[in-house]
Amino acid sequence: MPKVTIDGTVVEVPAGTNLIEAARQAGVDIPYFCYHPYLSIVGQCRICMVEIEGAPRLAIACATPVTDGMVVKSETSARVKEARDAVMEFLLANHPLDCPVCDQAGECLLQDHSFTEGRDTTHMVETRRTFPGLERRLLGPHIVQNQNRCIHCSRCIRFTQEISETAALTYKSRGNHAFIDTFDGQPFTDPFSACTADVCPVGALTIREFRFRKRAWKLRSTPSVCPGCSIGCNLWIDHHERTVYRFTPRENPAINATWLCDWGRFLPESLNEAHCLHPLHRVEGQLHQVSWGEAVRALALDVSAARTLRVVASANLSNETLFLARELFVRHLKGELVVPVHPGEPRRMKNGKGEWLSSRDAHPNSEGARRLGLELVDGERLARFLYGAADLTVILDPTAHPYLSTAEALQLLRVSPTLSLARTNHPTAEVASWLLPVASLASDEGTFTASGGHVQRFQPAFAPAGEARPAWQILQLLARAMGVSALDLDTPAAVFAAMAAREKGFSGLEWERLGDGGHSTYREHQHVG
Amino acid sequence: MEPILLRARGVPDSRHIDTYLAAGGYEGLKKALTMDPDAVTKEVLDSELRGRGGAGFPTGRKWTFVPKDHPGPKYLICNADESEPGTFKDREIIEYDPHLLLEGIAIASYAIRANTAYIYIRGEFVRWARILETAIAEARQRGILGASVMASNYRLDVWVHRGAGAYICGEETSLIESLEGKRGFPRLKPPFPAVVGVFGKPTVVNNVETLACVPSILTRGAAWFASIGRPRNTGPKLYCVSGHVRRPGVYELPMGVTFREIIEEHCGGIRDGHTLKAFFPGGSSAPVMTPDQIDVKADFDACAEAGSMLGSGGVIVLDDSVDMVEAAANLAHFYAHESCGQCTPCREGSDWAMDILDRILEGHGRREDPATLLRICQYASQGMTICPLGDAFALPISSIVKKFPHEFERHIAAATPRPPKKLPVLPWAGPRPGFDGQ
Amino acid sequence: MSTAAIHAVPAEQLTHVTFDATMEERIAELLTHYPTRRAALLPVLWLCQERYGWIAPGVIEAVAARLGESPAFVQGVVTFYTMFYTSPPARYVLQVCETLSCAVCGGRELLEHLKTRLGIDLGERTPDGTFQLIGVQCLGACGSAPVVQINDDYYENLTIEQLDALLDELSQGKEA
Repeated sequence: MPKVTIDGTVVEVPAGTNLIEAARQAGVDIPYFCYHPYLSIVGQCRICMVEIEGAPRLAIACATPVTDGMVVKSETSARVKEARDAVMEFLLANHPLDCPVCDQAGECLLQDHSFTEGRDTTHMVETRRTFPGLERRLLGPHIVQNQNRCIHCSRCIRFTQEISETAALTYKSRGNHAFIDTFDGQPFTDPFSACTADVCPVGALTIREFRFRKRAWKLRSTPSVCPGCSIGCNLWIDHHERTVYRFTPRENPAINATWLCDWGRFLPESLNEAHCLHPLHRVEGQLHQVSWGEAVRALALDVSAARTLRVVASANLSNETLFLARELFVRHLKGELVVPVHPGEPRRMKNGKGEWLSSRDAHPNSEGARRLGLELVDGERLARFLYGAADLTVILDPTAHPYLSTAEALQLLRVSPTLSLARTNHPTAEVASWLLPVASLASDEGTFTASGGHVQRFQPAFAPAGEARPAWQILQLLARAMGVSALDLDTPAAVFAAMAAREKGFSGLEWERLGDGGHSTYREHQHVG
Repeated sequence: MEPILLRARGVPDSRHIDTYLAAGGYEGLKKALTMDPDAVTKEVLDSELRGRGGAGFPTGRKWTFVPKDHPGPKYLICNADESEPGTFKDREIIEYDPHLLLEGIAIASYAIRANTAYIYIRGEFVRWARILETAIAEARQRGILGASVMASNYRLDVWVHRGAGAYICGEETSLIESLEGKRGFPRLKPPFPAVVGVFGKPTVVNNVETLACVPSILTRGAAWFASIGRPRNTGPKLYCVSGHVRRPGVYELPMGVTFREIIEEHCGGIRDGHTLKAFFPGGSSAPVMTPDQIDVKADFDACAEAGSMLGSGGVIVLDDSVDMVEAAANLAHFYAHESCGQCTPCREGSDWAMDILDRILEGHGRREDPATLLRICQYASQGMTICPLGDAFALPISSIVKKFPHEFERHIAAATPRPPKKLPVLPWAGPRPGFDGQ
Repeated sequence: MSTAAIHAVPAEQLTHVTFDATMEERIAELLTHYPTRRAALLPVLWLCQERYGWIAPGVIEAVAARLGESPAFVQGVVTFYTMFYTSPPARYVLQVCETLSCAVCGGRELLEHLKTRLGIDLGERTPDGTFQLIGVQCLGACGSAPVVQINDDYYENLTIEQLDALLDELSQGKEA
């Protein structure tokens, strides 16, 4: 592998690596705007100039592959600093100084590099170029455009041409008056439209749903996995004060590179809903608040006493929860357990190699349920499963299948006592004898198995609302109360270890090494988190 | 000197293939077809022919860069974009002698083993595109182009491809992008077109005048061609003279005449009552030269030594009636209009320079303006941009600032501060409608 | 020599464009010149401009569909080049060269004269739709400055008198 010296640090990198990536490994951050690791290299912004020993002119780092013995100066070259200073001045010549009212502030490459490379004065005294009418325009349902701020990096255009393949965006006109637009100004309805705001290095394209809801530097980021379908895109939950504000893509070359589809991206709003905050018990038709201690003690007796026990699990639950449920309800109590699944809208994602992954499965963990040997059923078979009386029906996730909200299902559930975990208002609450508040994905911890077989960890962003607890913990408490000490595992990591020791589908996996697969994730702005 | 490139100018019916054949046309191609393609390249290499489009790169060398063992198709592109201000020589060749160009194209294509050649002609040249199409049809009909060029089993198709109004498409990688049906954004180099060119295949891009030199190199030999001019600066050259001379036009002269000969002898000198103030030796993208440099030889190396460049040979002559700040502003408008907008220094710099020059002309110059202009020019050239358009706008403007400082001083001394901008107060027009009324 | 007038098809007739047999035939011929469909984009656009007088959004959609490109891509290309009309042009488009050689050799005076005579500014058209005035950059005929291109034709070494006579002739509709 070629060895290259960057600002005095020697690194060895695979042949073909460009100088930006090589420098990153040497701990040197070369600034850039138009470069993106998953898009083609165009060399337009000219900020990544470096000095290469023996070359008369400065070179752009993004388009220069390493060669063995190359000696590169970035921060240590006066010529480079001057050139970058000049490029920053060019970029800022027409860029509005509206950072205080710009929602990109705090995660803006222009702002960052202006701080590191630029100066606080300009020679520019002319009137700035503006784009009347394109200053606050809805480019599409999710994207707001402010063309005045555009620095012509063409990342958004390349995204639609190379990744989403709609080629829905283009430059119109040319020179300094070129602007980003769709065909004839029609709505930008690309299914990955919000990614264009991700790749936009400045505030020219921002996400309508997130605009002005929270300053970027207030947000904390927690690694998680998209619950929207079975592809398993990696994402960050961006949150502040126990509210989820957005999902942003987290790099995983094998699954979602650095992208998210609009469907998955706009799910986080649903994570903030929490209507069921305390354990509730129905007595004489009325729900009464009880403590967790009372609830678990009473339920442990009910569950143990049930001769016919049926459990509706869910492909939305983590591997750990499903494993505990199977061990407790099926192996230990000899109950019956099904995992209802239903097909979702077709979803697609492009991985880092440019291959499309697709899914028609609305659940994030059907593959995990399958690998745990659980029985996956459709709505028809779920109905048959619920038909007839049982001593106790346990519903681990009322949103597991739309059938559970139907009048027919409620009719069936009324027949026998029902225990349901619940977070949001759901019709099953009307018939359940017990309701236990459960945490959302943002407050849960565990793993999902993506349709491609990757077992991926998600982490808790903040504590659950009210008295809610993660589903795995509710099962652990039940197991403890019933004296099943083998299942009294007090962390998801411990559950995972037990599972990995027993299950073929998880053998050899270690909790600590799951997740980002050992590579450093590509992120232009690291929030504390 | 006997005319070589313009020998058909003034000949009746000169465009017709019969006229061309009667004058010994297509003999060069006939000879080339009997030779090994590499021998043809060698002949052009020995002639020391340098590209006439502006860069002056040795043509034979360019041909040798095409990988010989490349299995797929290769392409020759004739650059007839002729968009450099001050240049109008290619049009002259096409107008009078389209078959001379076609013969050059055929020889060059044979030398690089290309079976398809495109003539990329600027969109405004509708008449000349038609002339070329007629000439190609004639040549195909006579078996000079097509499935078997002059019965040699060498296949060559030539197509005319019209541009649509973009100066930048004269730059070879931008031309290639445009030919592929895209916006004319220049490509990063390397890879160079000779290796990865149009449709990803090895491609040679040569200027019309360059290719028009090739037939006579074949018929008369490299030594004869090299005997015109001086070493490294050989052959006949078309000088396009415009501006304030008595007889502007295209002149075919041996490479290396002085600008004095061109301007004073051939063009009859500066128009009555005026004196020479400045001239651009090679199109508007060359640094400006002053009357004391009039004895410089009009060839590649002499112009470079004099701190300018021969470029395309478009000599723009300006007399003492011209305000050089106005000239700079005029060129700044041109380059700001023609910058493709792809890379930062050229896009922002050309526009910014234009704004400064316009402001000076409006009477609101500032003392720091010349220094700011020089700074813009410095950082928009010399490798700061993807293609040479950065240099093309920076060199003439910075040279005017440096060589005519007193003209800037005069404007600036008389300047008044710009009145403060009045911000418009817009009436409240209700919320802006979005797609769903929000 | 008389310049052919442009007959721009009105926008409302170009909302949905289908190419007729003649157009299809010519497009098919153009496609044989290139190894990719995309490369035929500029020639096909020229063909459309010849046929419809300008490149309406409906034309862009038809071209995009024919060549397998997105309409946005085609519109991006159309707007990069200055010679494609994105709104219906007047019958005669007067393209006055504004670059250096023409500017210093009478081009500026010519332009001022045209503005006064036609009563319009750059980029505007006369109310009767006969003339449209645009400033263009170097036309590549600097030796015969000043130069005005009217539709497809070059008029060189123009004096104000010659231009006036020319406009008289064109506005009398001899050709149209």
